[in-house]
Amino acid sequence: MNAVLRVENLSAALPRGGRDVPIVEGLNLTINAGEMLALVGESGSGKTIAALSIMRLLPPGATLTGGVWLGGQNLALLPESALRRVRGRDAGMVFQNPLAALNPSRTVASQIAEAWRVHNGGGKNTARVLELLGEVGIPNAAARLGDYPHQFSGGQRQRVMLAMALACAPKLLIADEPTSGLDPLIARQIMELIARLRRELNMAVLFVTHDLSVVEAHADAVQMLYAGKSVEWGSAKQFFTHPRHPYSEALLGSIARVGQARLHNIPGSLPEPEARPPGCRFAPRCAHCQPDCEAAFPPPSQFGATTAACFYPRPVQDRHAGVEALPVTAPRRFITQLQVQHLSVRYAGKTGWFGAKAAMPALRDASFSLGRGECLGVVGESGSGKSTLGRAILQMLPYEGQVLLEDTDFAALHGAARCARRRRLQLVFQDPRESMNPRLRIGEIIAEPLRLQGQLPQAALREKVETLLRRVGLNAQLAGLFPGTLSGGQAQRVAIARALAASPDIIVLDEPTSSLDVSTQAMLLNLLKDIAYTDALSYILISHDFAVVSYMADRIAVLHEGRIVELNDTAALIAAPRHAYTAALIAAAPQPRGV
Amino acid sequence: MMRMVARRLAASGLSIFILVTLVFFMAHLTPGGPAYSILGLKANATSVAQLNARLGLNQPLLQQYGLWWWHLAHGRLGYSYLLNRPVGALLWRYELNTLVFYAIAISLSTGLSILLGLAQGVYFGRWPARLIGAFQLGFYALPPFFIAAMLVLWACVRHRWLPASGMVDLRLAHPGIASYAAHLVLPVITVTLFTTASLSRYFGEAVHEELGRDYVRTARAKGVGFTAILFTHVLRNALRPLVTMLGLSLPYIFTGGVIVESVFNYPGLGWLMWRSALAQDYPILIAIVLVIGLLTVLGNLLADVVNGLLDPRASYE
Repeated sequence: MNAVLRVENLSAALPRGGRDVPIVEGLNLTINAGEMLALVGESGSGKTIAALSIMRLLPPGATLTGGVWLGGQNLALLPESALRRVRGRDAGMVFQNPLAALNPSRTVASQIAEAWRVHNGGGKNTARVLELLGEVGIPNAAARLGDYPHQFSGGQRQRVMLAMALACAPKLLIADEPTSGLDPLIARQIMELIARLRRELNMAVLFVTHDLSVVEAHADAVQMLYAGKSVEWGSAKQFFTHPRHPYSEALLGSIARVGQARLHNIPGSLPEPEARPPGCRFAPRCAHCQPDCEAAFPPPSQFGATTAACFYPRPVQDRHAGVEALPVTAPRRFITQLQVQHLSVRYAGKTGWFGAKAAMPALRDASFSLGRGECLGVVGESGSGKSTLGRAILQMLPYEGQVLLEDTDFAALHGAARCARRRRLQLVFQDPRESMNPRLRIGEIIAEPLRLQGQLPQAALREKVETLLRRVGLNAQLAGLFPGTLSGGQAQRVAIARALAASPDIIVLDEPTSSLDVSTQAMLLNLLKDIAYTDALSYILISHDFAVVSYMADRIAVLHEGRIVELNDTAALIAAPRHAYTAALIAAAPQPRGV
Repeated sequence: MMRMVARRLAASGLSIFILVTLVFFMAHLTPGGPAYSILGLKANATSVAQLNARLGLNQPLLQQYGLWWWHLAHGRLGYSYLLNRPVGALLWRYELNTLVFYAIAISLSTGLSILLGLAQGVYFGRWPARLIGAFQLGFYALPPFFIAAMLVLWACVRHRWLPASGMVDLRLAHPGIASYAAHLVLPVITVTLFTTASLSRYFGEAVHEELGRDYVRTARAKGVGFTAILFTHVLRNALRPLVTMLGLSLPYIFTGGVIVESVFNYPGLGWLMWRSALAQDYPILIAIVLVIGLLTVLGNLLADVVNGLLDPRASYE
């Protein structure tokens, strides 16, 4: 086998708080031509820094040691001018969030042509640009040469990024989270495109991701990073069937899959680079931790095609023992609490000199009911109107149609009565840190809905806040902190505590976990599930992730282009989707393991 | 785009109307009056009353105000009380002087700001940027009249290199372009120092910010050299805040011009405004305010149009 990329003992440190903090330590990996290696880790594991180190694109002040061998050259020691000839020509790179990664004020064609011109010279190279755009599947490419990045859809932008990376037919493609932030169906298409291009061009691919389910179908090899160090690496096939490291096993168990009964979450959180434990880094969170795990970093132990850095690797299990199928139960019955009838929302269109133009409705004629204690999942791609639906129910948007809470129409209520009723519906947003005032302490944030309900003595208020914090599994001492100091998972729990403070009947969860890591997401979903059972809370869970919705919801509504195309009990919907779009969504979601 | 321009102009009409109205009444409410400027402070009451009647100042204020708009609608801005000449022609002569002065000063400061800002953005956090930053802060903090006075003391009084005031040497029968240029050197330096200080700071900040963006990393990953990234990727995006600043500072520079023009006795619009305000020469004062208002609107509009050309995402709807 001829290795395209060989990384030897690579370490990278970034200056943080006045000293160099190691982010990636002693990374070794080899990728052969035509092979895809998935570098997997949660946020903070150092995977992006590892990918950037290969091309030496680290932020200023970073230090790099070790060897990066690409085409007979050690990139780690190459002078900048020579390195520039390697970048783009021998190795192409695709980044997360293509809208930011493309220059907003230059046409797509000029940006792709630049990638070719830098290494091969020539002028506008329209022929090569068209060829590349065709290769990555941009329809009607000739007509789009003069378009700017903002005129493309999210998936097309990522295709443009790929065209740019492939301009000089590199031997190595580094893809840093190219599918995160995209709708599942689009993400799947991009993933398939990368897999196809790798085969056709016999290209080595380093695929960096936080989500194991993304690479399950296509990766040849996997390398798991945890807190800057590799914990398990080897053949993807064996990794996915028999993970050896407890962390790999736990992370695989925390991925929401269609028809899963219970998610396994990993307790605790990833250590900051400044405070990584001395021994095995996963030891403090590990369910199988022994006293000697905390003394020294475990040496690699090989078993079959994978190697795990663990003193006590997991035994190879019988495949079927680990699969928990959804228990087949009759659909639960609920007392109707919320009724939505013929709900339509139109956003004001462009206003010209001659009044408003006819606006496209964001939501058309949605009708459903929600029972007490029920969880209704709303799935759809971005722009399908699912957030609009949530906001209309919460009376945050003008709408047509009726929203009835316990048989009372909101339109019939005014003033204080309307406010009081409105308070029984609460909302948890996608980005918890954006939805909290950064100048208020956590305690004040949670106390705000309590204050609105009436005067409470200070001591009682504090006690209530502490109870709520403990409800969502947080330390009561957190009340004195500011939101900026919390991790994403903690912040989202605070947001849930704030919603609970109003003692609502219904909580609208608008993409509550999509900004969180897989293991944090599992923890949060389990928490929400438990609270719903104990408090008889109803949820409207809005998400683009079908697996998450199917895990939580009793019934699922599938939104497509502003219409509910299908609404059914979760089990029935998965077993027999009636709409083609539903079937596609289910197919794109992570499937149960061992099937 | 034409539609946007038309709509913006229509919306600005109201602002200009309010501005002119406010200035008209505030100017007329101040005690004294143009009669004393014309007749002298010791003028007796009857001659003042006679003059006021001749100038129409004894009529009710609202009527005078209406008359002013009536005349404007017929394209007349009135006559200067003090100089007894039509305001329109007077304004145009002084405006030309100001235009020459500021066209030079603003082009110079824009060019300097781009150079300094690029250096500051590239060397952000290191000594070249810190040095530039210190100069920016220093010149921003120094009042223009102080810079002007120091320049006059050094270049005119001490070394006698340059004329200290005026626009042209009055002793010359046929003053050449060199005489005009020599008189412009010090005012232009004063204004340039002051405006460059703030403009380059904004631009430097923008360059630094743009250099940290993801698309710069993408360009580096393509193998584009740093200089090429700076000029083909970063510059255009970083220019947007600079253009906005330039548009916004058009009237601001103008009020700064009152001070600089009066210090150097340069017969521009700012100088005329200062003199007219002192003499309570209402027609000129209000006409100048009208011009400033129009300049403000045009400056903002121009900035938006240029930014629209720089940024394809900008939508005019």
